Amino acid sequence: MNPYAESAERVALRKAVADLAAGYGRGYFSERARAGEKTTDLWADMGKHGYLGVAVPEEYGGGGGGIGDLAAVCEELATAGCPLLLMVVSPAICATVIARFGTDEQKQRWLPGFADGTRTMAFSITEPDAGSNAHKITTTGRRDGDDWLLTGRKTYISGVDEAESVLVVARTEDARTGRLQPALFVVPTDAPGFEWKPIAMDLLSPERQFTLFFDDVRLPANALVGAEGAGIAQLFAGLNPERIMAASFSTGLGRFALRRATEYVKTREVFGAPIGSHQALAHPLAQSHIEIELARLMTQRAAALYDAGDDAAAGEAANMAKYAAAEAACTVVDRAIQAHGGNGLASEYGLASLLAATRAGRIAPVSREMVLNFVAMHSLGLPKSY
Amino acid sequence: MNIVVCVKYVPDATGDRRFNDADHTVDRVGVDGLLSELDEYAVEEALKIVEASDGSEGEVTVLTVGPEQAADAIRKSLQMGAHKGVHVLDDAIHGSDAAATSLLLAEAIKKVGAESAWDLVICGMASTDGSMSVVPAMLAERLGVAQVTFGSEISVTGDMVSIRRDGDTATETVEASTPLVLSVTDQSNEPRYPSFKGIMAAKKKPVETWSLADLGVPAEQVGLAAAWTKVDASAARPPREAGTIVTDEGDGAARLVEFLAGQKFI
Repeated sequence: MNPYAESAERVALRKAVADLAAGYGRGYFSERARAGEKTTDLWADMGKHGYLGVAVPEEYGGGGGGIGDLAAVCEELATAGCPLLLMVVSPAICATVIARFGTDEQKQRWLPGFADGTRTMAFSITEPDAGSNAHKITTTGRRDGDDWLLTGRKTYISGVDEAESVLVVARTEDARTGRLQPALFVVPTDAPGFEWKPIAMDLLSPERQFTLFFDDVRLPANALVGAEGAGIAQLFAGLNPERIMAASFSTGLGRFALRRATEYVKTREVFGAPIGSHQALAHPLAQSHIEIELARLMTQRAAALYDAGDDAAAGEAANMAKYAAAEAACTVVDRAIQAHGGNGLASEYGLASLLAATRAGRIAPVSREMVLNFVAMHSLGLPKSY
Repeated sequence: MNIVVCVKYVPDATGDRRFNDADHTVDRVGVDGLLSELDEYAVEEALKIVEASDGSEGEVTVLTVGPEQAADAIRKSLQMGAHKGVHVLDDAIHGSDAAATSLLLAEAIKKVGAESAWDLVICGMASTDGSMSVVPAMLAERLGVAQVTFGSEISVTGDMVSIRRDGDTATETVEASTPLVLSVTDQSNEPRYPSFKGIMAAKKKPVETWSLADLGVPAEQVGLAAAWTKVDASAARPPREAGTIVTDEGDGAARLVEFLAGQKFI
């Protein structure tokens, strides 16, 4: 098989998702977001067709595919202008972590719902005082008999109001040594002592951002995912898919903007010719096409490495893909708006709202600067700078 | 209930469709092809009927006559949920008209029936490229069974099929018993999108490829030379002319009426 081409099944999956998403589109997405409404009907439709569960193991009702398949679904939705942000966390991070590290009971309990999209789980890692520094996380789980008591704060957590539970990155205290070790807990969104407040954002998105407060939230023993102390490997198992999904989100939005711009410059006539005949407009769009395709290729490579079980190589590729995809997306939105003139900022053309949406890709889920740090240190062997 | 669905691989109607300069047949090389959108309704209807008959072991066989790429139309149908495929493929078929196509479909259906009896043959209401709508009727004639065309709502009870047909002036509901050739309209259902499991499962579903020799059809009965009609010339449609823009200065309605009357629309 040609490693540089996607399988016939992957291509068919893309087509099926694109066809379904075309029935929703940017207008649907923007309308819902402006009205403060959710896109749960699109989510349910996607779930019903098994598109949200493509990467969940078959024995739990999923498609038995990989992150590459899930990333393709995410990208095609964004390309249609109606991305589902929670795909990045619920099926990509949470389902992956539970499928790889959860106990049998946790898998039985959660995975079938991830497979058909009927269960949504948010993911929380970022803290007010520990942004990119996962080692400074202070949210802590303490033993209380068989139970856990969870205390701490999280911020910029997506879609908590739409989720049934949140996968919380925390630490546990080793009773003997007092050392803190990373651990992941599933916390129901209605747990006593758990409060969440929306953060006002200037983003056009049906999914909202939240600050979370955990005040001695009592959790049963089985809320801890996998083994105590196995946390860091588990965490990174979930973060590489997150980056691959974020990259796909960006390339999808990039393709959306590029398609809009291309259609526009072909038909918009000024001075008696379509404006696309002017190289000043044609070349930037051609550059963007190249940048987006390169980012897509790296994203697919990262997914292929991850699905082949090479976590280390996937980590480097996923970082590079996320970086390249976010840059390509920001650039193409800027160019697409320029090509549209005043129309580029009109609601009708659906581009201005992408300025913030694609810009977020440079920050989340890991900042451009942290990716560059990673590449400088791990890929080039330069001294650690942070 | 066993159902055979006849599907056609056609050039994408949203693309730039052309005729071949040499023999004025449809250019299938230069444009993307796909399962005719109108045939998706036939596949969906067959799947719904088989799924509704709980417990009985019905199968949907999807049949196409067409060039090598026509396998895509079978694959899409299998991804939607059809059980197996038959592809009638032979270089001599190129340029076949509706009469020859119906002959090939009929012989293939007889061959399918020799293995396991079929109850229903379902076709789309027309192909999106030729759009003649005559193949279902020709097929029924060749198979010697009843035909009901342009069905908009289908229900099956035992071996009785009830079909609603929406005409310009009246709606009729007719009943027919199997075996039957049925064509369905784009009002009959909402074709499903292939699920991920459907896409993966389609890889393993059996597809047989039959030649003219396999069907026992002589080459001289099909193809361009045997066609009853001949295309002498074809020309690209002229580009659409700019429309008339009526600026409403208080008399918009009157001017619209004037325009429509001038064009004899009203």
